[in-house]
Amino acid sequence: MDFHILFQQLVNGLTLGSVYGLIAVGYTMVYGIIGMINFAHGDIYMISAYLAAIFMALLFSFGLDSVPLVIVCTLMITMAITAVYGWSIEHVAYRPLRNSTRLAPLISAIGVSLILQNYAQISQGAGTQSVPTLIEGALRFGDDNAFFQITYMQMMIIAVSAVSMGALTFLIQRTAYGRKCRATQQDRTMASILGINTDFTISSVFVIGAIMAAIAGMLVTLTYGSFDFYVGFIVGIKAFTAAVLGGIGSLPGAMLGGLILGLSESLFSGFINTDYKDVFAFSILVLVMIFKPSGLLGKPLVEKV
Amino acid sequence: MISKQFKRLAVSAAVAASLSAGIASAETIKIGVAGPHTGAYANFGVQLWQGATLAAEKINSNGGIDGKQIELVKGDDACEPKQALAVANRMVEVDGVAGVVGHFCSSSTLPASEIYEDAGVVMVTPGSTNPAVTDRGLSVVLRNTGRDDQQGIVAAEYIVNDLNAKRVAVIHDKDTYGQGLADAMKAHLNKIGTKEVLYEGLTRGEKDFNALVTKIKAADADVIYFGGLHSEAGPLVRQLREQGVDGTFFSGDGIVSEDLMPAAGGGKNVDGIMMTFGRDPRTFDEGKQVVAEFRAKGFEPEGYTLYAYSTVQAIAQGIDGADTTDGEKVAEWLKAHSAKTIMGERKWDAKGDLTRSDYAVYRWNQDGSYAKAN
Amino acid sequence: MSHTEQYNFSKTALRGLRDAAFAGVIALIVFGPMNGLILDGYGLDFHLDRPFLMAGIVALGRFLLTLSGCLPAVRQLRERLMDFSHRGVTVEQPGDSQVRWKVLILLTIITGLCAPFLVSKYWLTILILALIYVLLGLGLNIVVGFAGLLDLGFVAFYAVGAYVIALGAQYWGLGFWTAIPVAAVLAALAGCILAFPVLRMHGDYLAIVTLGFGEIIRLVLNNWLDFTGGPNGVRAPSPTLFGLEFTRKAKEGGIPFHEYFGLEYSSFYKYLLIYLVLFVIVVALTLFVHRLRNMPMGRAWEALRENEIACRSLGINHVTVKLSAFMMGAMTAGIGGVFFASYQGFVNPTSFTFFESALILAIVVLGGMGSIVGVIIAAFVFTLVPEMLREFADYRVLVFGVVMVLMMIWRPRGLLQIRRKAFKRPRPVYTRPGEAQPLHAASAGQSL
Repeated sequence: MDFHILFQQLVNGLTLGSVYGLIAVGYTMVYGIIGMINFAHGDIYMISAYLAAIFMALLFSFGLDSVPLVIVCTLMITMAITAVYGWSIEHVAYRPLRNSTRLAPLISAIGVSLILQNYAQISQGAGTQSVPTLIEGALRFGDDNAFFQITYMQMMIIAVSAVSMGALTFLIQRTAYGRKCRATQQDRTMASILGINTDFTISSVFVIGAIMAAIAGMLVTLTYGSFDFYVGFIVGIKAFTAAVLGGIGSLPGAMLGGLILGLSESLFSGFINTDYKDVFAFSILVLVMIFKPSGLLGKPLVEKV
Repeated sequence: MISKQFKRLAVSAAVAASLSAGIASAETIKIGVAGPHTGAYANFGVQLWQGATLAAEKINSNGGIDGKQIELVKGDDACEPKQALAVANRMVEVDGVAGVVGHFCSSSTLPASEIYEDAGVVMVTPGSTNPAVTDRGLSVVLRNTGRDDQQGIVAAEYIVNDLNAKRVAVIHDKDTYGQGLADAMKAHLNKIGTKEVLYEGLTRGEKDFNALVTKIKAADADVIYFGGLHSEAGPLVRQLREQGVDGTFFSGDGIVSEDLMPAAGGGKNVDGIMMTFGRDPRTFDEGKQVVAEFRAKGFEPEGYTLYAYSTVQAIAQGIDGADTTDGEKVAEWLKAHSAKTIMGERKWDAKGDLTRSDYAVYRWNQDGSYAKAN
Repeated sequence: MSHTEQYNFSKTALRGLRDAAFAGVIALIVFGPMNGLILDGYGLDFHLDRPFLMAGIVALGRFLLTLSGCLPAVRQLRERLMDFSHRGVTVEQPGDSQVRWKVLILLTIITGLCAPFLVSKYWLTILILALIYVLLGLGLNIVVGFAGLLDLGFVAFYAVGAYVIALGAQYWGLGFWTAIPVAAVLAALAGCILAFPVLRMHGDYLAIVTLGFGEIIRLVLNNWLDFTGGPNGVRAPSPTLFGLEFTRKAKEGGIPFHEYFGLEYSSFYKYLLIYLVLFVIVVALTLFVHRLRNMPMGRAWEALRENEIACRSLGINHVTVKLSAFMMGAMTAGIGGVFFASYQGFVNPTSFTFFESALILAIVVLGGMGSIVGVIIAAFVFTLVPEMLREFADYRVLVFGVVMVLMMIWRPRGLLQIRRKAFKRPRPVYTRPGEAQPLHAASAGQSL
């Protein structure tokens, strides 16, 4: 086997996995705190891709020509507006269903997903949208005939994912806010009796999920350069699978699940068959679920008898 | 809006009672435009609709078909077979169309055409190139575009004879159109003695093809042939170039869109992309004025716009010539005669395919335009 | 009195204005970039008027919503709409309302049988589609509604049924009538295969695994080109009636239906046959499922849904109970698949995406999980509404999504409330020794 090909596929898988992981965080946190599968999360990611492209174009048209500045500004604005999306969707479509059946928010989320997709299509047009390549170049290892490379964008994806995951873990594990989150997750009634504003906490979790999705949306838009209103669906399903694989409700689990999914996809596709890579990915999910029914890092459900 | 619906319902119920799928209205002739007006391929729907609208306006301002005005009906199938069936039934039963421009995706055209056959409504597709569309012996189905097997042959010949490629990677998008085209190309490639080094399918709607690209790189291909649409071709080209694969990217008529260049990452990546496409409809002398009109409206008549225009003209002339809206007679007339459209004279054989295949190989330039390759 | 009312009103109006302004600002942020700045290649087109217009609409709507809260009539309406939204299953005393129900059922059946002669062929095809969704809804209702097992890959069994008839006809000459039982058995088998590994799982993990299973089936159907025809799909045969075909021209020496009876050709007859057979099956299945609910198996499903652990400690074998629910549901979906394939005349994998599963789930949830009548109504709503919305053209899917969200907010427990007949033990009959009396009889109320 050519090792440069293997390394290249590992790099590909790692990049893809980081993206899945970032989006999976949104699923896992929302599930953790209110036990709801937020099917519209993938579409939030899609919206953020549009927002990133729009603001990049806007900043360039204002005559800003420093690429790093544009990227940082766009990232900030995209994160802020996507957060507003997350907040308002929670407020309008999920909060009225807070004390309802378990499935009602799920159906509502499917509705929201349809709305977002169609909204993007109507307002921005159905065609594929693109952004120019801003950061080019790559680190190459090996000689000219047998090399593997990691582009600067791929490095950025991996680095930013690592940093934001670290920051998020710190936020949840070490701060007062994180304690409130975890308390709400454990027992909402108890938390509210202890004076925690659970409505606010739940809202904030949606906002955090949206921000992570925005980071992913921005990075992916920059890397692959093109998107349409449908990208959220496929990536959403994969990220969701990643969240479950790692144990839904667990932050490191989401990242681990994402990486496993990304790596398995790219290795299977690279060395066996591209057609069946998704079949392979879902088979891994089913197998893991059979032997570890609550995911790799998920806490097993305690059965009270 | 609802009451209109019920009125229509009542009318169509009355029509159904007599069990004649006849055309109710005498004042106007309705022509359906069926295609992906929403969904992932909606930009093709826009092209069809723009082309058909202008054609209908033109014909109407010249007195319509035998004094009757054309009324266009939009049918949205989103390129899903299930919806295509509903649309076809609705067009036939509720709207009572006399002809259909469409459908666009082959996977929609295949089931829908059976409905039109049953109802005796002529259907001329401006975009479905899958051979099965006309190979099933349906009497009302015509195709105002080429066939994938013709396209595949042209591509394979060019790859072997002009590009002198030894190592060809064949990629498709696992869809009726894309895979059909890739298979047709592969079949002819094998026939003339070249074996492909790689044959793989990617998933429509995804954007990350890096794993596949690395595989192509490992296969050391001179030519990467892609059967699919521009929405996947763009990112694929971009990632190929990013990973330093410099083989020629070769594709079919599904990538003809102004969206390709930005999606592929700009001019330097599209430069040198090859594709097979029918003669650029914008180059016909008959259509010069129409192209200018489109541009004056701020719409570039790319891709299938003029195909749709020409299809409306053909249906109108068929109805006029056969002097009836009976689909079988219209189709018969069109097959026996020919239609003078903005894309020149269109002639059909007994199966409903165009008699002359005008596929040629084009090469994209850095500015996003494409010109015939020598 | 009126003074305080006025005071309240002005206070509400003030609050309404504040809320409206807030909603407007949020709407401006949300809609601003997406509607005001339209991407065009690498550049932008500016349409700044649009977001302001939309924000204005949102603010106005918010304001009117707050104001309308002051009107007693609106408040009453709202309370009525939300009436039972926070209550779960009610358990009724076994009563006697049989006569009314029987009349209603009879009327429904008669209407159903007459319907195809009253509507156009177009609406007949829509009705067929609606009935197929009724079947799917009933099937998923057993799994989700009765047994409480969230299945997001239900479409897999539907696909199995559809491909059984299409591939069966292609490779083994399977006809429409034989395909129905074959598909039912094979789909049930698929349900069984899926159920075994997932029996250990709970709630949402189960959901994901079934989702994965559904995707695997679809992907295999799409990729296995040599056998399934891949994305090109397979043609499915139309039904025949005692060997009479419903085609314009007969194939292989048969006689088409219309020639035999000397009628003019119309595909109406084909759809009519499909509709009538489907209708009979739906009615039979509805009654069957209804009866099943009152039998030990059905009661075990619902008991399991309410509390699995308690159930197991009462000695119910949760494995067989779950397995039976999965198999029953899958079987129903398989039959639905046969009709779908035959109706469409063609199957390909795009009909079996995850979205389809979600739609069926929405039907079950909107119907009020576990309520048979509710599921039937919801299935009609979900197939007829998108067709009626065709007038909205581009906004069709958007409006559909909004309808879904609104229905969930107003009716989170579905259109109909689940009622459940209590189980009443038959009063012990004292018999003189030697005189044998049957001990069963009337164990369960048997009305819908």
